[in-house]
Amino acid sequence: MDSIDISDAHRQRPAGSFRALIDDRPDDGVFRLHRDVYTDPALFDLEMRHIFERSWSFLGFTSQVSQPHDFFTTHIGRVPVLVSCGEDGSVGAFLNICRHKGAELCAVRQGKSKSHVCPYHGWIYDSSGRNIHIKDQDQGAYHPSFDQVDHGLVPLAAIGSYKGLIFGSLNADVPPLEDFLGDMRFFIDLAMEQGENGMEPIPGRTQYTYRGNWKFQLDNGLDSYHLTSTHLSFMRALDRRRVGEGNPHGNQTDFFKDSHCDTASFGFDHGHTVFTMDNTEPHRRPFWPYIDKLRDRVGDAKADWMSIKMFNSLVFPNMQLAHNTALILRVFRPIAVDLTEMTSYCLGAIGEPPGERGMRLRAFEDFYNAAGLATPDDSVVYERCQQGMATGAIGWLQGFSRGLGALETGQNDVTRPMGINPVESSMGTLQSGQEVVYHPPYREWARLMEAGEAAAPAYP
Amino acid sequence: MTGTASARDVIEQEAICLDERRWQDWLALFTEDCVYWVPAWKDDDTLTADPQTELSHIYYIDRAALEDRIIRVSSNLSPASTPLARTAHILGGIRQTGAPGPGRVTFRSSWSTHVFWPQSNLSHTFFGRYEHELVEDGESWLIARKVITLQNDYLPSMTDFYCL
Ligand code: FES
Ligand SMILES: [Fe+2]
Repeated sequence: MDSIDISDAHRQRPAGSFRALIDDRPDDGVFRLHRDVYTDPALFDLEMRHIFERSWSFLGFTSQVSQPHDFFTTHIGRVPVLVSCGEDGSVGAFLNICRHKGAELCAVRQGKSKSHVCPYHGWIYDSSGRNIHIKDQDQGAYHPSFDQVDHGLVPLAAIGSYKGLIFGSLNADVPPLEDFLGDMRFFIDLAMEQGENGMEPIPGRTQYTYRGNWKFQLDNGLDSYHLTSTHLSFMRALDRRRVGEGNPHGNQTDFFKDSHCDTASFGFDHGHTVFTMDNTEPHRRPFWPYIDKLRDRVGDAKADWMSIKMFNSLVFPNMQLAHNTALILRVFRPIAVDLTEMTSYCLGAIGEPPGERGMRLRAFEDFYNAAGLATPDDSVVYERCQQGMATGAIGWLQGFSRGLGALETGQNDVTRPMGINPVESSMGTLQSGQEVVYHPPYREWARLMEAGEAAAPAYP
Repeated sequence: MTGTASARDVIEQEAICLDERRWQDWLALFTEDCVYWVPAWKDDDTLTADPQTELSHIYYIDRAALEDRIIRVSSNLSPASTPLARTAHILGGIRQTGAPGPGRVTFRSSWSTHVFWPQSNLSHTFFGRYEHELVEDGESWLIARKVITLQNDYLPSMTDFYCL
């Protein structure tokens, strides 16, 4: 029997060794995480510096800044960011911080503006981030040295986009975006190629917080094991819908019908990971009526995956795409070690007819919304985990082991036609509840934390 | 017209049913084809206007959809609803808007709901405006359409219909 473990592993570990928090011994079939990973405030600060401030982060959508002067604001970790389309149509991303005395410049979530005026002393920046006005500059008795410095907004060190998704980095030492995403691109394509003119976030915000570590969302967004326990009340609603009672417009796939279907998890380089499952009800997909057209445009492999599969995925560190009858992209922003802000986007095809969009919306609202029938049950279990672990009485967690006995490396019959090459895969059914899906992000977590502590390049 | 007084009463009854967890009584206040709509905010000053092309927090056009919500909170299977939050709905500024049609009347009101979650010992106040469209049903009135404008849409982790 295990005894109470109130030790602080992070205090015992040698400086810079994060491996002490991840017991990763593939040859012995062991993968364990220490709860400090979720609860230690000192680790949280290091995560901001070594992970969020040194790798790519999802910022937003190209559709949000498609016209001159369109802008939106967001964050990379703790850092406020402004993404803006300049007069010339080129998209820039900047620290959303006034150069004068550091006020957050733009407090509006999104909009269109030729310039941004700082509310404090009135410095003005144009939509390309250039400083165009320093109030009363000629009477400021500035020393000539003042003219030697640039007063424009500080651009991010790297910006890139892939299939309508914009990413940015505070660190120039990152791989090209396409290399960073690697074979995760196959799954991003499944989401972002559904519309022939691309995809967009459907207007309307759904934003909420939970009092737990950001990695509870990282985990749970990939967790197929909790579906038939945390969401039993949702299953109860589905039981009724199956016989024509309850909400006739929820447009959900029937998880019980699918519970014996094949599932798979795929892990990729750079911490990205995917859980997939077969889906017996492709007709619930809004594009099903013209699947043949879609097949011509994206090819058989992708069309099959779009229609007869669902997936949950992670683009490390904090963006997830889930494809079911609705398509959700969510971002979880760490605010404190035990506080996380969630932003969920319901994605729709640009130019799709209202009927199709309505199908997406009803499915999204039913399940994924903050006031939906599933998400509050997820959020509250994260809070329960934070409460449970914060006591410090439990050291090692046992939630990373399912699927370890079924791990495969290299390509197999499933991945070959997809043209992807995961680092490792695991095949099963929904009841398998693969937990190996978490290994790539935590390995990447440890790698980046160690590189950061060693002041070594994040991506050598 | 005594009728509109009893229509107004339905609005208060509705809030009381939610606070007292009289779910079936609450449900019975709605027409079968009722619209129950909580639009999302599109930007800082604008609500979404079209549920077919824009996101809502909740959008139902069928009373049966409200049943799903009740099934969930009374199932003992929903971690966010077990134990269930305690609420107090406060209503104010109930005013009839527009001219009543035959057997049909619309009210606006301001509301706040104080919510206490026993499982975290935390409280939160949701607030906003209601629009109730009521239709005459024999001696009484039923809610044919309820639109909830949620002013503070930066949501806590356990937001549900009884909080609104
Ligand atoms: S802080 Fe922006 S103008 Fe002074
Ligand atoms: Fe869930």
